[in-house]
This record gives sequence, C-alpha cells and structure tokens, in this order.
Amino acid sequence: MLYALTTEELMQRPDLWEAVHRLRHSIFVEEMGWSDLHRDDGLEIDQFDHEEAVHHIVIRDGEVAGYQRMLPTTRPHLLTEVLTDLYVGDPPSGPDVWELTRYAVARDYRDGRRGVSTVGTELIAGFVEWGLPRGINKVIIEFEPMWVLRALQLHFLARPLGYQRTYGRQQVVATLLTFNESTLDVVRTRRAHHAPVLSRGYPDLLGQRQAS
Amino acid sequence: MGHFDRTLAYISDLQQADTPGAICEKLLDVTSAFGLTALMAGTVPQPGTPKGKQKDHVLLCDWPIEWLERYVARNYVDHDPIVSRMKQLQAPFQWRDAANEVKADRDGEVVMGDAGQFKLKDGLAFPLVTLDGQIVMVSLGGEQIEMSGLEFGMISLVSGYAIGRAMQLHAGTERTIDHVELTPRELECLKWASAGKSEWEISQILGISEHTSEKHLLNAKTKLGAVNRVQAVAEAIRRGYI
Repeated sequence: MLYALTTEELMQRPDLWEAVHRLRHSIFVEEMGWSDLHRDDGLEIDQFDHEEAVHHIVIRDGEVAGYQRMLPTTRPHLLTEVLTDLYVGDPPSGPDVWELTRYAVARDYRDGRRGVSTVGTELIAGFVEWGLPRGINKVIIEFEPMWVLRALQLHFLARPLGYQRTYGRQQVVATLLTFNESTLDVVRTRRAHHAPVLSRGYPDLLGQRQAS
Repeated sequence: MGHFDRTLAYISDLQQADTPGAICEKLLDVTSAFGLTALMAGTVPQPGTPKGKQKDHVLLCDWPIEWLERYVARNYVDHDPIVSRMKQLQAPFQWRDAANEVKADRDGEVVMGDAGQFKLKDGLAFPLVTLDGQIVMVSLGGEQIEMSGLEFGMISLVSGYAIGRAMQLHAGTERTIDHVELTPRELECLKWASAGKSEWEISQILGISEHTSEKHLLNAKTKLGAVNRVQAVAEAIRRGYI
C-alpha cells in the first residue's frame, strides 16, 4: 500500500521518518552519486522537505520499499531553484501542477529487471490516484529521457520543458506529464491490479510483518 | 519561433500521428535536415532469433528495402556493432564511435561496410528501456551527417517521443488486433514488389495491366498506412503478411 503523509505527519512517526531519509540517502547519494546531498548521519534531507511537501511511501513486508516526494509549484521547488537549466521560458505552475521528486525504489524491490518494478508502478498509480481527487492533473518530473517512452506507454500526455542535460553520468530532462481517469485505467491495467493503492492513515510500525 | 518552440511543435505533431508510417515520415522530416534520412527502431531480438521472427521486433522502419532484406537474410543483427553498443544501454552515440571501438571484429566491419553501400555511412543511435524492461533500439542514419550538440539533443528528444507514439500504436494494435485485410492480388503484388520488381514487371508476371498492378499496390499502401511503396512492403513484412 501507498501512504501519503505531510512532513508533519511523517515527523510524528520517527521510525518512518528515519527510514525514508535513509532510503533517500542510500539511493541518491550512495548509488547515484549526488554528493552535494551527502550527510554524515546517512539521512538525506533538503530545503524542500517543508510543511507543504507530501511524502508518498510504499510499504511492503513492513519495510519502506518505495518513495516519492510531491512539491507544490505555488512556491519555490527544485526546477525553479536548483535545476534551472532544465527549462526554457516559464515553467508551468499553479494548484493543479505539482513537482514529483526523489522517485526511489529500494534495491530489494527492483525485481532484478531492467524494467519498472511493481513498487515503481505502484508509485505511479499512487500519484495519479492521489492527484485526481485533489484537482491535480499535472506533474513536473526531472527524469532520465527513457522515462518519456514509459510515460507515453502509460498514456500520460508528455511535454518536455527544456532539453536534456547531463549531470554526472546521468541525463535528465524536465517533463510535464498530464493525466486523467483514463491514464489511471491504463496504469492499473498495465499493473494487472485495479484496486486503489492509496491508503488512509499510517502504516504499522516498521519491521512488523503482517501475517499472511 | 525559438529553437525549443520548434522542437515542441515537432513533438506535438508526432503525438498526433496515427500510423507507424506517419511517425516515420514526420520524424525523418525533422532529422533529414541534418543528413539523417533512414530510420530503424525496434526491440532487441535475442541472439540466434530465427530470421522469420526478427521482423516482429520492428516498430518503425524506413530503411532501403534491399538493405532490410540483406540485414535479415545475413543475420547482421548478431554482428552489428551499433546493436552491441546499444545492448550495453549507452546514452545516445554516433555510429562512427561504435564502429571504431570494434575495429578488431571482422563481422562488425562487414556490416558497416555493407551499410555504406546503401548510403548509410554514419548516424546516431540510442537504446530506450520500456516499462517491462525490453530494450528498444533507435538508429538514424544517412550518407553525411552534421549537427551541433544542441541539435543532437533535439533529435534524441524528438526520437524518444516518436518511439513512444509508436509503442502506443503498437499496444493499441495488440489490444484490438488491428488486422489489415489485404486481397490475394494485393498480397501477390507486395510480394513481387519486395523482390524488387517494378509495377510493369509485376503486371507481366501476373498477366494484368500495369495500371491494375499499380492500383493493387496503392490500395495495399493505403490499408497499411504507409506513405510509399517501400514502407508498405516493410509494414507488410513487419506484420508477417508476406
């Protein structure tokens, strides 16, 4: 299941808060080499973990298996503050546009394949399902260009906001994805899982495997 | 209109293309200004995939038909240095770089040399990975290519959208089983066209008028959503009709 928590809600669960920031550090600093974000305590935290951020957390077997952070574009966000060379003209903003950052699937949940794991597609189903009832139907994502193909496979309407740039070994392109109910249908069909993934409330304490 | 606005216009145009043929045409319209006049995109067959099955892997194709036939017949896919480099999931690269890397490999040299005969002397190529982990190879080639770094970025970006559109159409055909009904005569004409026969020659072989053979090929072309004869033949091969 996927839980959507505000920063404040996340901080009320120290076990979850730590697991989330540890996962972010292990993936973005240690695996992808974004050394600017390095911290000695192994927790990755930046200026955008503010009170309006929403944290999407996928829990599997009592562990944090996937994560993404949603930021409103009505205040400064990654594209406008940090990744400023990724857009041309005025970047889209407004209550219906959010920025998706720190998309991450924990190593053990990548299904050992090149493609997108079930946790990865749960995150995608999750932000669409979370956005639609809130009047949010667009997200800005800074991702590797091959995600354009995947977004189109899932019937998002995609539009680049600028040309791709190379950061370290990685190529990144800022893209605006627009979605609606039919996108959600396609995502669910591709996952062969039609039930909602978004869960209310909090997950159980981490490490508590549910009896199966 | 600024450079990026033009790129956006190409992309929105591509997203409205509703046949693989139209996607090829629109993409090559953009790339031919830089000398990239031929396009091949498809998923990677496993080494040793039977020749008959290799064509199922093609998504978009505007290669010279004789080159396509030779490529499949001689199983070049297993020796093509561009293909081996794409399998390593590299960022976009130029053909000449891949060719230089594998200078030692005789088979690879043969493929590149042969491509040159079809005016495919250089190009750019890159792999994409689909949702389910399939590698899609995109290769654009021509006789002499010239582009700046910015244009290189523009071409790879626009190509990504072209492949995405092709995958959408491909998935759509899988769901609805979009089978094109070709008459036996149309199929016969396509087969002879794929063997390199002209309309006049086909009319002589089949004992029909040249006008009639022309009409059969035209109908087949329309049904297959192709923009020209070469593409109609490629599409018929891709769909396994001939």
